[in-house]
Amino acid sequence: MFRVDRRFLRNFDWVLLSLLVLVCGMAFLNLYSASYPPLGGMPPYQKQGYLLLMGVAGIIFLISFDYKELHFWNYPVYLLVILLLALVIFVGNSAGGAQRWINLGFFQLQPSEPAKLMMVITLASYYSRKEVANGYSIKDLITPIILMAIPFTLILIQPDLGTALMFVIIFISMTVFAKLRWSTYLILGCSGIALAVVGWLYVLKPYQKQRVETLLNPAKDSLGEGYQILQSKIAVGSGGIFGKGYMEGTQGHLHFLPERHTDFAYSVWCEEWGFAGSLFFLGVYFFLLFWGLHVAMSARDRFGLFLAFGVVALIFWQAVINLLMILGFLPVVGIPLPLFSYGGSSLLTTLLGIGILMNVSMRRCQAGSSLEGCDDV
Amino acid sequence: MIKWTFLKELGEISEYDQAALDALRKRVLGAGLVIVFFVAMILLRLWFLQIHKGEEYKNRAENNRVRIQEEAAPRGDILDRNGKELVTNQPSFNVVLVREDSNDIDDLLKRLSVVLKEDVSVLWERIRDAERKQKHIPILLKGNLSWDTLAYLETHNKEFPGIRIEVFPRRFYHYGDMAAHIIGYLGEINKNELERQEADFYRGGDLVGKMGLEKLREKELRGEKGSSSSEVNARGFEQQLLTHEEPVPGNEVRLTLDIDLQQVAEDTMDADERAGAVVAMEVKTGRLLVLASTPRLHLADFEGGISTKNWNALLDNPKHPLINKTLQAMYPPGSTYKMVTALAGLAKGVINKDTTFFCPGYISYGNRRYNCWKHGGHGTVDLKRAISESCDVYFYQVGMRVGVDALAEYANKLGLGLKTQVELEYEKSGLIPTKEWKKKKYGVKWQDGETLSLAIGQGFNLLTPIQLCQMTAILANGGKRYVPQLIESVTDADGKVLESFTPKLAGELKEDEKKYLALIREGMVEVVQGARGTARSARIEGINMGGKTGTAQVVRLEQYKHLKEDDIPYKYRDHAWFTCFAPAEDPEIAVTVLVEHGLHGGSGAAPVAKAVMQKYFADRMAVDAIRKAIIQ
Repeated sequence: MFRVDRRFLRNFDWVLLSLLVLVCGMAFLNLYSASYPPLGGMPPYQKQGYLLLMGVAGIIFLISFDYKELHFWNYPVYLLVILLLALVIFVGNSAGGAQRWINLGFFQLQPSEPAKLMMVITLASYYSRKEVANGYSIKDLITPIILMAIPFTLILIQPDLGTALMFVIIFISMTVFAKLRWSTYLILGCSGIALAVVGWLYVLKPYQKQRVETLLNPAKDSLGEGYQILQSKIAVGSGGIFGKGYMEGTQGHLHFLPERHTDFAYSVWCEEWGFAGSLFFLGVYFFLLFWGLHVAMSARDRFGLFLAFGVVALIFWQAVINLLMILGFLPVVGIPLPLFSYGGSSLLTTLLGIGILMNVSMRRCQAGSSLEGCDDV
Repeated sequence: MIKWTFLKELGEISEYDQAALDALRKRVLGAGLVIVFFVAMILLRLWFLQIHKGEEYKNRAENNRVRIQEEAAPRGDILDRNGKELVTNQPSFNVVLVREDSNDIDDLLKRLSVVLKEDVSVLWERIRDAERKQKHIPILLKGNLSWDTLAYLETHNKEFPGIRIEVFPRRFYHYGDMAAHIIGYLGEINKNELERQEADFYRGGDLVGKMGLEKLREKELRGEKGSSSSEVNARGFEQQLLTHEEPVPGNEVRLTLDIDLQQVAEDTMDADERAGAVVAMEVKTGRLLVLASTPRLHLADFEGGISTKNWNALLDNPKHPLINKTLQAMYPPGSTYKMVTALAGLAKGVINKDTTFFCPGYISYGNRRYNCWKHGGHGTVDLKRAISESCDVYFYQVGMRVGVDALAEYANKLGLGLKTQVELEYEKSGLIPTKEWKKKKYGVKWQDGETLSLAIGQGFNLLTPIQLCQMTAILANGGKRYVPQLIESVTDADGKVLESFTPKLAGELKEDEKKYLALIREGMVEVVQGARGTARSARIEGINMGGKTGTAQVVRLEQYKHLKEDDIPYKYRDHAWFTCFAPAEDPEIAVTVLVEHGLHGGSGAAPVAKAVMQKYFADRMAVDAIRKAIIQ
């Protein structure tokens, strides 16, 4: 099982690895500043360092076997994750009115994070095995909808609307990517709108509604939700062209920025490095995502393609939501910037996702591949 | 085992259709476009925030970070001409609440209300008024603590988290309500004042001068606020002090007033509950020595805002304490106007030193009979006697001959009908009628009979006590009209003199007019020193004084004619005037007294002027007395 083919090493995706190292390096640098002055206990950047090492171990494990085995492992993993999500409702640690974490001793596991990756694998496995010429009918989608709805509901109960919606977004991305019939679009669209209306009226908690309302009218509540967005905009804007300099940001160090080392970490980066630094980071970050799409295109089979696409979609949507929130376009939803925000569960999950990308990339030249550059298969 | 079976099954379906796979690869490009779209949106937004609005957000970050606190400057002192302190500052201790330091305000206020002896609802009201302010800004709960309360709060400060004692400079009036109309008072700045110019200097809650010199000299007295800026974090806790600027104390204003003279004037007026005005002025410079208006204002009532009850009481008071009667009220001049008539007569050549008229006690003019106050008549009178005995008939004759416009001309030359330009608010200019004025005002022609009344000060003419004092000074100093002034000097905190007194000449009589003044003065001296003068009671041993009494009719109601003076209702009694100068040989000081409804100049007003003169010459008379004693 751990047999390493020399060809794999030759096909190892060094570009992807370099981009990953670059992004993680910037994240680490930023975290040091964002968590300054230290509050006592293990500083976040140190914790993040350990988690990075764990993540590297996870990547090595994930690339050591052919990703097609994920077709099988997907089922036990799915059950395990659902179990954890159910568990978190009963024994989870709560913060801010929501129960999201399970205490594992060395760190607090947030099961909804690995659940996202699990969702990607599950859907990739399903769609890659079910090939339909003219796109999926609504009947074909019943199974994936149920597979998605279970974790979605469990996370909504916590309650964590932002993360729950991520499942819907991943589902939509991958399903649309897999091609639907027009009638399916129509049915899904209508029922989606109906669900949203019902959800707004009966499911959303007042604070969640308030977040949405605040976004529509930020002046209404300048010391609440609007305050956070405003402070973030001030932090980003005050960076100017070249920034205030590393460790010199006032918005972060003087605690005007909320959640400055987690959800709002990129605000700190923008404040200290300015437009130039923000641009550099985005360049590297989105190059990594484009490279992920490149991996998807060069995958040897349907499963690999769906896996790579799903991982890119997972990282991309979280990043876009986080950035739009930081820049004042979206309400505060509690979605981190993958790889950049502090948060063990998110970091580990994202690194495992990158591991899957690497796996797909390394095995692009195996049987069935028609790509150029793959010699002597 | 299960696993391998499963994967083997998969193997069969993994023989994918290459065409389908290629189609799927094309869809990846579509996903790439979605990414490009969002990246572009994020980049545009970054450009907008960091470059387009970068400066604006930089300022906002700075404002977030820096808190500026102001420190009140001690207001300048006000002194009298001899350096005696009239108004200075003394510390006042206020209880303030800083909400961010207190977690249970409800409980805190309950306990505090017992200590402060204030109702909880009153304290809550104060907080509610300031609720919109940031939580680090102190809210005033109660000002001007007593020593007991202060001591209790200082020793029990741990029991009252969020409560602080702040020291504010507070005005202290060393002479109580003395010269209250001149000094004025302070009050919280109001909305209109905040919106006016220099609004950036003031903040809501600042104290500013509301009346008198406190208002007029606000800019000099207020000083410059100090400020400190410190870096704060999001919870408002100070991280470090960035800058500190000490406040600059306000400038010291020294008045020309002599507070001892002022006190004599006010106390004498007050003693008999006289309502009116006393003005004393150096005749050769225009320095005001006394400027008193009674009844006095009670300055303490105004501190921290006057209550509606007190305000209404002031408004309803028939003696009008709110009005500074030295310059904000106008009265008919009565016989004090006869000097104007005399000067006009002399200057126009209608009379000279020796001209005499016969006074039978009345004069007939047109179809009317104009009475002299002395029904039996004065007989044959010349100018000197006419002034000293205040013969009305003599001045009817002069007035008739010079006419209304010549009277007005000389009244103006003596400063009447014009504002004196003294540095106080709402000065009235008085009224000196002319033919043209009457035509314009009433649309009818001037009746020559009216000139007769005018000549003895009973017509349309009105003047203020300060105008009459200025006129007396002109007569006394030989024709120079000096602007009455109140400010001796203004000195800044370093002792640098910014402004010092210089006489301001507003006008001067012509040389050929000046020569008549000696004649008029002679008559005035007779008023006091002469055997039949109307103000013999004002005579002071050792000082020759010149003066003139006046009685200004308030109404000409026949129904009161037969009554004894004491039985006439207060508001219908005549006003009493007395204006004088001394020493007659070389005049230094002019004093003018008006007593509202004081009946007679000689008995109602002259004693007050006499008291002021006595005080003014007290030192000299004491020296003279000693000298005499030594010679003997």
